[in-house]
Amino acid sequence: MIQYQTQRLSLRFFMLMLVLFLVQVGFGLILGVQQADPTFLAGMLNFNVVRAEHLNLGLLWILAGFIGAIFFVGPLLSRRELVAPWLIKFLFWAFLVTVIWNVLTQGLAMRGIAGWWEGQPWLQEGLEYLEAGRAADIVILIGFAILAYVVLRSFPPVREWNEIHWGLGIGVVALTAIWVFGLFYIPRLDMQEYFRWFVVHYWVEGVWEVIHISLVGFLLVLLFKVDVKSVGYAVFWGVTLVWLSGLIGNAHHYFWIGTPSFWQFWGSLFSALEPLPLVFCFWHVYLDAHQNRRPLENAPAFYFILGSVVLEQVGAGILGFSMTFALTNVWSHGTWVTPGHAHLALFGTFGMLGLGAAYYAVPAVRGLKEFDQRLGRLGFWLVFAGILGIAFAFSIGGTVQIYAYRTLGLDWFGGDVFPLMSSWKLLVPLSGLVFLFGAGVIAFDLFTLGQRVPVSAAGRLPALRRATGWARPLSGFEVGIWLAGTWLFGGIVTLGLLSFNLPRVRVDGDPSLPYLLAWVGYTGLLLVTLLFVWRFLASMEGRVAEAEVAAQIPIASTTPA
Amino acid sequence: MSCRDGERCDEGRKRLRALLVLGVMLVAFIVLSAFSFLGSRGQVTPNQFKFANFPADDGKHVFQSYNCMGCHTMVGNGAYFGPDLTEEYRKAGPAWLAAFLPSAGGWPTEAALKVQLANAVIAADAGTASLDEYYAKFPGARERVTRRTGATLMPNLPLTHEEVEKLIAYLKYTSAIDTEGWPPKVESGSLEHRLELAHRPTQLPVMATAAAAPVAAPATATASETPADPAAHGQALATQFGCNACHSTGTQRLVGPGWGGLYGSQVKLADGSTVTADDAYLAESILHPDAKVVAGFPKGTMPNYSGQLTDADVTALVAYLRSLEKPQ
Repeated sequence: MIQYQTQRLSLRFFMLMLVLFLVQVGFGLILGVQQADPTFLAGMLNFNVVRAEHLNLGLLWILAGFIGAIFFVGPLLSRRELVAPWLIKFLFWAFLVTVIWNVLTQGLAMRGIAGWWEGQPWLQEGLEYLEAGRAADIVILIGFAILAYVVLRSFPPVREWNEIHWGLGIGVVALTAIWVFGLFYIPRLDMQEYFRWFVVHYWVEGVWEVIHISLVGFLLVLLFKVDVKSVGYAVFWGVTLVWLSGLIGNAHHYFWIGTPSFWQFWGSLFSALEPLPLVFCFWHVYLDAHQNRRPLENAPAFYFILGSVVLEQVGAGILGFSMTFALTNVWSHGTWVTPGHAHLALFGTFGMLGLGAAYYAVPAVRGLKEFDQRLGRLGFWLVFAGILGIAFAFSIGGTVQIYAYRTLGLDWFGGDVFPLMSSWKLLVPLSGLVFLFGAGVIAFDLFTLGQRVPVSAAGRLPALRRATGWARPLSGFEVGIWLAGTWLFGGIVTLGLLSFNLPRVRVDGDPSLPYLLAWVGYTGLLLVTLLFVWRFLASMEGRVAEAEVAAQIPIASTTPA
Repeated sequence: MSCRDGERCDEGRKRLRALLVLGVMLVAFIVLSAFSFLGSRGQVTPNQFKFANFPADDGKHVFQSYNCMGCHTMVGNGAYFGPDLTEEYRKAGPAWLAAFLPSAGGWPTEAALKVQLANAVIAADAGTASLDEYYAKFPGARERVTRRTGATLMPNLPLTHEEVEKLIAYLKYTSAIDTEGWPPKVESGSLEHRLELAHRPTQLPVMATAAAAPVAAPATATASETPADPAAHGQALATQFGCNACHSTGTQRLVGPGWGGLYGSQVKLADGSTVTADDAYLAESILHPDAKVVAGFPKGTMPNYSGQLTDADVTALVAYLRSLEKPQ
């Protein structure tokens, strides 16, 4: 099922990704419980340590997924085996050792040990997202360099590159280059934050997004046998728009960190354009998926890719947009509203891509012609619903937090702020439980894929559904309506944040308008998202039925013997 | 917008043009960034701030070592589990921070603030040794003291005396940073009014007003009072000074040693010798904590109570300690 032997090397990275995913979600659940009950494990495993693990493993498993996906598509793009397989094996072990080292060193924060030597924190750094100590940082830099070397040496000569080569090539080089900005201790707080966002924003917005667009593009080529050239067009414009908006769009992190107020203008302007490439990318996925009416062969892979581009649109695009203006950001900044966006955007966009790539690559590497796709579907719906629930809890809870903490200026979290947020604090671990269950299903499914007896026809359960009604073909017009729906509710969310500026809220202390807009906006946005993905996937599943009717396979004969 | 099969989709020239635009934007970004850190802007830098001779940068090291950003935000960045710390120094001041940080699991009492203000370094930094003036200057300290309850949601951290001083220096620096109007100014009226708005349908969570009142009242009258039972008086003093933020009444180690069964026991000291915890030793340890430091505990964590307590107070506290037995 695979053309090149070195594609097999992607498997170990996908398996590592799943293990780290599970551990990361486990830490996330501990955080959720600690939010609801701050005394939980306090003194033994403090919130800050658990959060450092949760963030770091989140980045690391996404990277493992990227690396796996890149090594899987690399030989196909190069039309030959990857160079230096031994180096890839070394990369895997170095990755594993670094992860374990980093998980262990984060715990030192409880005793105030950072390992200062030569002015650098070698064991752990205590900066959000960049918690890894300098020792791990340097090993990670070498790891990125190895990745870039393998990819660039395996690729054909530059003049033969298509847009996907360019996207991935630039992606792996920039991944390495931007990491360097996080390797220095900076005494000034404003300058430290300036460079910290250099790494975080440009990684996500400048590099990961580019790798994401390229990988989504190529996975669509594989899934739907689309022409590489047409995907190349989308990849080119996606990357261009990402960079044109994201380069100065980084300024939305420079509003309140002690940098001048002119950033408020630049950040509000350019980062409001950041959703453009995401709309574009999504639209292209729709076109590619509907260019021919080929039935879905690998449903879970497409489920996760669709989830990835939709949540990129909703989580990164719309929720990011809502808080990107100085006038809304002044309220959302430093509150729970931001993790609502971050969870949906980071897991949604990059996490789901890794899982989608794994669902494509794992059966291919294991040489499975057919596999039971029910668990994959179930896992998708569980993590999808779970992450929407988490985002909802953070967003509404965050709106309450803005009111208590910023409008009323009550800074006693235990006495004033937390009691008001309590029901939302409970919804986080509850949604987290659903998510963890989904993560478990996905991991179990991918670990054991091919070892269980394939239930060929039953594995394609929705085959009985007819391609009418909810499962009828999806027209471009209808997609436009759905998209407009998400943006409508996104607009309401934005107005909700904006309404905190009204004297009625700010001076009189009446929160009803922002609460109402938040309720309508977030509920509507997440519901439309859920329904739209359901509708999109139903229309894809409908094709299976169509194809079978066309092949005149009697439905009775498809039940397992 | 898709490029259909068979069409020419050569992006070469567009790629060049896009790169050009990107280059122009990059230059704009670099120019803006350079302007952001020009000295003439007048933004404060850490080397302008000191506390107890520690520069603010030392505190930044401590801040990162304990990963404070993993629970709190700083200029709004970090975790949203605890309050933002950017303006904590401006709100609560050095004395409250010095009283709070070593035993973050409990809220400092008013008496604990007084003890800190008796420290010349802190009084100099606050610009006053009087509690009333301190409250006027740092109104957040008054709010924190009057609304306090027994426990905080923060675990005790093993911060040393020096680390606390360094952190105060850092928080002094962050308080002075011009953050362009963030967090937004609170315009919704007095604290009482805002609390009413927040907790309208339910009860105000000000358990402390009930608990603090009887505690705050005798704060000025301790010396003259001579209650019948010295142990009870000692217990009242321990509550008043917030001793139990660091010392449990059992054997559990919070920040300092537990008190349960301490009286009369053999105590191992940091210098390797052993003493009996008798009246004289306990009285000395209350008034001059660094004279004999218990093995395994850092020097300088406990404030000096000489001048804060009368001889009768110390006798009462020792009587209270004597009454605390080791839990079975």
